[in-house]
Amino acid sequence: MRTDIDLSASYPFPPERVWAALTSSEALAAWLMPNDFAPVKGHRFTFRTKPAPGFDGIVHCEVLELDPPRRMVWSWAGGPLDTTVTFTLEPAGDGTRLRLQHEGFGGLAAQLVRRIMSNGWPRILRRHLAEWLAGRTP
Amino acid sequence: MNDGDVAADRFAALADPTRRHLLEQLATADRAVTELMAGLAMSQPAVSQHLRVLRDAGLVTARKDGRHRYYRLRPAGLTELRDWIDELERFWQGRLAALGDYLHETERHSTERHNPRDQA
Repeated sequence: MRTDIDLSASYPFPPERVWAALTSSEALAAWLMPNDFAPVKGHRFTFRTKPAPGFDGIVHCEVLELDPPRRMVWSWAGGPLDTTVTFTLEPAGDGTRLRLQHEGFGGLAAQLVRRIMSNGWPRILRRHLAEWLAGRTP
Repeated sequence: MNDGDVAADRFAALADPTRRHLLEQLATADRAVTELMAGLAMSQPAVSQHLRVLRDAGLVTARKDGRHRYYRLRPAGLTELRDWIDELERFWQGRLAALGDYLHETERHSTERHNPRDQA
């Protein structure tokens, strides 16, 4: 079963080029968000996006791991949400396969939500539907 | 509050293993506090406090029936949480596509720089 967010994309460019686009502040600003990133382990940086009510539009990050051109991990905190984003690069033919994992939503919360919704859902719906129908019987 | 705040509160509520356990109990049936205490080495006030956090986060509801208060999972709370994760997932899908565009774009520019004759 899928937990949190786990995505993959393939690009027809060697890992070194994809890595460069993941680890340059200018490149990240072009495809992700404006930032003050630096490719240094322990570097703290922010992404700035449009503020929304209750969200100042700032994502606070730190470079937790840096293993060129294979793997990079960031902490990712927007509001009270404390998560991690992991980029993993693998050569694939003449190109690169990039895996992006965004994890840590309240620990196992996302996993729990998916488990309850896939296993318990039909039962919950039956229970609530029966009551809903009973409540509406004239 | 916006959706992100609500989602953050819910994820924070579920960060605690006791509260995850309580929610799983409520996924199968509505239960009173005394039932929920079974299997937890915890006082009733402590369990009630956890249930209060789940209620404030919109993940469970409570109804009074005689002397007992019964707790029930609030399905909409979970659906909204799943929708929020799905929305974040769409954000990343969009960004990964933008990364592809960026790589193609910069490739074209560097090719043009290195082969100025091609532009003629």
